[in-house]
Amino acid sequence: MPEHRRFEQKGVKVPCSLFAGLVLFVLASHLFRQLLPQSVAASDLPGVVGWLTDAQGEPVRNADVEVHTDGREEAVAVVESQGDGSFAVDLTEVPFAELSLEISRPHFHSQTWTAGEEDLAWLQQGGTIRLPDITLERRVTLGFWIATLTFVGMLVIIALEKLHNTMAALLGAAIVLGVSFVGRPLNPDLFILDFEQALQYVDFDVIFLVMGMMIVIGILEATGIFQWTAYQAYRLSRGRAWLLVIILMVLTSAASAVLDNVTTMLLMVPITLEIALALGINPLAVILPEVLASNIGGISTLIGTPTNILIGSYADISFGDFLINLTPGVVLAQAALTLFVLVFFRRQYREVSGGLSPAMLERLRQNGRITQPKTLAKAGAVFALMLLLFIFGEQIHLVPAVTAILGAVFMLLVVGADIQEMLKVVDWTTLMFFIALFMVIGAIQEVGLVSLIAAGVKDLVGENLTLALLMIVWAGALLSGVIDNIPFAAAMLPVVGYLTKALPGASSKVLFYGLSVGSALGGNSTLIGSAPNMVTAGIMERAGYRVSYITFLKLGLPATIITVAVATIWLLIRF
Amino acid sequence: MGKILCPTRGGEGSHRTQEAAIAMAKERGDDLVFLYVVELDFLNKTERAVRPDVVAQEMTRMGEFLLSMAQERAQKQGVEASYILREGEVQAEIKAAAVEEGATLVLLGQSEEDDPTCKFEPEKLFKFAEEIEAETGIEARVAC
Repeated sequence: MPEHRRFEQKGVKVPCSLFAGLVLFVLASHLFRQLLPQSVAASDLPGVVGWLTDAQGEPVRNADVEVHTDGREEAVAVVESQGDGSFAVDLTEVPFAELSLEISRPHFHSQTWTAGEEDLAWLQQGGTIRLPDITLERRVTLGFWIATLTFVGMLVIIALEKLHNTMAALLGAAIVLGVSFVGRPLNPDLFILDFEQALQYVDFDVIFLVMGMMIVIGILEATGIFQWTAYQAYRLSRGRAWLLVIILMVLTSAASAVLDNVTTMLLMVPITLEIALALGINPLAVILPEVLASNIGGISTLIGTPTNILIGSYADISFGDFLINLTPGVVLAQAALTLFVLVFFRRQYREVSGGLSPAMLERLRQNGRITQPKTLAKAGAVFALMLLLFIFGEQIHLVPAVTAILGAVFMLLVVGADIQEMLKVVDWTTLMFFIALFMVIGAIQEVGLVSLIAAGVKDLVGENLTLALLMIVWAGALLSGVIDNIPFAAAMLPVVGYLTKALPGASSKVLFYGLSVGSALGGNSTLIGSAPNMVTAGIMERAGYRVSYITFLKLGLPATIITVAVATIWLLIRF
Repeated sequence: MGKILCPTRGGEGSHRTQEAAIAMAKERGDDLVFLYVVELDFLNKTERAVRPDVVAQEMTRMGEFLLSMAQERAQKQGVEASYILREGEVQAEIKAAAVEEGATLVLLGQSEEDDPTCKFEPEKLFKFAEEIEAETGIEARVAC
């Protein structure tokens, strides 16, 4: 009897326990995280407890709290502050005449607390002292500058395409970790963060959600569903270019909302190009509106864009929250975009000439058919269930990452996928990009750059939530046009998190929705603003239709201004 | 009777080269073969997961579609043309296709647009033609 159940598909044996183990691991990790106490449990021994925060009121974790008694230089005990900034010191050596706590952490000025006579007396009676919250002041170190330069350098390298995004992020992570380990013995101020701290910044909810969705998309994309829908749009439009564009924009937007917008564009562009040629119109007039719609549609759900996945995980915004708070705004922005596009390309849409031979039309029909109907039926049913779980899963505290993994595993089993092929679908390069990116973002958080930006933004907006929202949306839109919006959004999350706590009325998480809108819609302004833009241009170029930076800017910039304005108005009305 | 190999991307910008190849095939009575190379290097521009096999399949279908259009264009002018698709690095695939197809002439052309991203910028195009001749011994011309 075999050790574990296997099923065979095309000669490949699939250990079911592998997936079961993976799912259990994810579930256990979450359960474990929920159960772990944030602060050290109190004991019967006398002691001192306290909370450490930074100037923005954020907890300071991993700070060393050294206990010195009776003027001795050697610490009698050392504890570390926890994730919530708390620390608890148990004192075993009582009675003593003097007691002081020395609190130190890289990138902060050290502080010392000395016990008074009353405190000592209380301790000697076996009591525990609760210190007032201790605010640690930031210190700009050499490590601060190195981490800042590394982060900026990474953004520049990605923007200029000097290295692959993953390589740039890995280089950034290598620099901050390398400098920390090699530099610290030479100069303690060179320390940025250690490996354990770097791992703490990696958001595994994001990693597993992205991985699960990769598998789901990998199965669905091979079925021909994208091509079929595009061809149906062509049939429905009956040669009316304006109608074709409207239908394609709606379809692309909807597909991007529940799947990935890069995949959507990769599969929609070739068939759309053929359709445009069938109608005798410039393919750019159909495909560019599609990519703009794709970027907008993505922000309507939690899983539509990587930035939303990051935001949802960080701010604990559920799938349903995105649907309620962003989808109506996306629909309005989409409507505004459609009107703009119809005006912008009005001449091209009038020039419909047709002209393809029956043979070519037949070829187009062939290219627009569903290639794996059985797989599509099964995978589609599982995907529908997944969407329901995404929406209603929060009722049972089911996190999106687990839903994605469950859906992916179930889909693999249902469609009998070749596991070797499916593991190839998981793009480890992308996952490494996220892991390395989280480490670099962790580095700039550790050294205080994020706090500095947060404080600067707070000074600028004061107590004005509307001003803060406008700033996040529009600055986000502007910057996302020139730098990769994923690292931008990742870096902005703690800033927005701070503002959400600090500004009256911001607890609705409106600023996080603003970040989603700004970072995603801003990607429409330039050719390099988003990954779908670049892959679309890549395919177009392979077909002999060049999308220049200026060509895209002429359409994308006004489209961005219009859609961001509409989305901003929606957010102002909604919140 | 010779064989003309005409690498093309298929879009409007390539029509001039296609027309030149058709005219030349007609004049010389040569066979005409259009070539489309599926190259997926643009996938490096994203940090997002994609399935290169599925994308390659779509690009192949698109290439076939564009080449069929070129084939029809030739047919309308009385020239029977065929086409081939290959996947890989464009320049290497052109050279390999020229040898494997037994081409007697490779006709290169540049996009009508001023396209800096085009594989075949003017100087590079002539240099590439020389390279083909040197490496394969097959005549290579540039349609201007």
